Amino acid sequence: MTRTSLRERSAVSHAAAREATECEPRHRPWLGALLVAGVAAALGVAMAGMPREHATLPLIARYALEIAIPRWKLTEPVNEIVYGTRGFDTFGETFLLLAAVVSVVVITRPREPRRGYFGESAAGTREQQQYDPDPASDAAEQEARSAERREQGEQAPSGEPVETPDATPLGTPAPETAEAMTVVVRNAIRVVLPILAVAGLYLVAWGFSPGGGFPGGAVILGVLLLVYASYGRRKISKVIRPGLIEPLELAGAGLIIMTEFLGLAFKGSFSANWLPLAPVLTPLSGGVAQLFSAAELIEVGTGLTIVVFALLGMSHDWARDDQGEPRGGGPKR
Amino acid sequence: MILGNYLTAVALFCVGLYVLLTRRNLIKIVMGLSLMEASTYLFMVSLAYRAGSTAPVLVGPPAGKTAKQLAHGNVADPVLQNFCLTAVVIGVAVTAVFLSVVVRIAQHYRTLDADKVRAMRG
Repeated sequence: MTRTSLRERSAVSHAAAREATECEPRHRPWLGALLVAGVAAALGVAMAGMPREHATLPLIARYALEIAIPRWKLTEPVNEIVYGTRGFDTFGETFLLLAAVVSVVVITRPREPRRGYFGESAAGTREQQQYDPDPASDAAEQEARSAERREQGEQAPSGEPVETPDATPLGTPAPETAEAMTVVVRNAIRVVLPILAVAGLYLVAWGFSPGGGFPGGAVILGVLLLVYASYGRRKISKVIRPGLIEPLELAGAGLIIMTEFLGLAFKGSFSANWLPLAPVLTPLSGGVAQLFSAAELIEVGTGLTIVVFALLGMSHDWARDDQGEPRGGGPKR
Repeated sequence: MILGNYLTAVALFCVGLYVLLTRRNLIKIVMGLSLMEASTYLFMVSLAYRAGSTAPVLVGPPAGKTAKQLAHGNVADPVLQNFCLTAVVIGVAVTAVFLSVVVRIAQHYRTLDADKVRAMRG
């Protein structure tokens, strides 16, 4: 082997190593370490004064444990606290969640189809002539536009679309173009899904045992994500569409507002129980706490679904990276 | 010793803070924030722990104990578990907000480097 080729090979391997290892700069690590050490010292001192494992329970915890059965007929104090004693706090958190969902929906909103012409291209003619007199689109732009149209489903992709990879022989090199996963995964998920869905609903319905709307909603999101992962986007887009789940989310929020305000109307206090209490250890034993929990299931389940699927559905930006500039160059002009 | 848990939570928080202070990659900043968030979950669950306690469920208390006794120290603190339960869900939604902002920034500026993201430039 000649000396040159050796040098080339070592250069290539060095480049590969650089690519593999982290070459991102750290900014003022010493200052950061100093500040973090200060915070750590302050927090460490604070932690030394925190109640340890032998301390008595705080007053609110003892109060909640004592009233859980007599006043709410709930044997699960955590649910009693979430939807009863600290119901107002949960009420506020619900709207924090709703605010986050609305922000994600607004930020990830795809390009909307035009509804009409309102003269913006004519209004910018003079500036267009001044700064870019020849706006003919080049090959790169046409390529990006056609990729975008293909992604939005306006135009059939080149080649036959493959729905499942079942017919693909093992060891076929990437890229994998099929939407769904193999028959093994699909069948496994078909078996697991009803069990998971029922478990999620059980967590909410049996409110006298640990569970409630928050974990139940997270389980529902898990069920939908499994369907998405195994069967592909097209199958689930019939269920996960903004026209269906966004009204559901708002209906959940409306139900929560109604539940809490009816306490004010009937019992004179916000989030008071206005429903008759069923005996202990029955699904309706929590009164209004159970209604709140069910509404929270709708709110959290649809809210997290909207958020996660909005992120998954964020369309690509198909324009090419600028060739001349180094990676991470300035803003796109 | 539950103090070990508290100090682990502090360590996790500090790792997240260090990432936040010294890195400029937006994805890493979001990861640092998530780590700080996770440290508070650990802290709250550890704070709820009581030595020799049971879960705060009043049905079928352990032999020789009544529900009244449970309320006086032999049970984990349910209020802090409540905080944790809601905080996890809110945390997921807030992380999603961060990530969607990061995706939009990456699409607009073609970089994830927070130093290069300056709206007033050119």
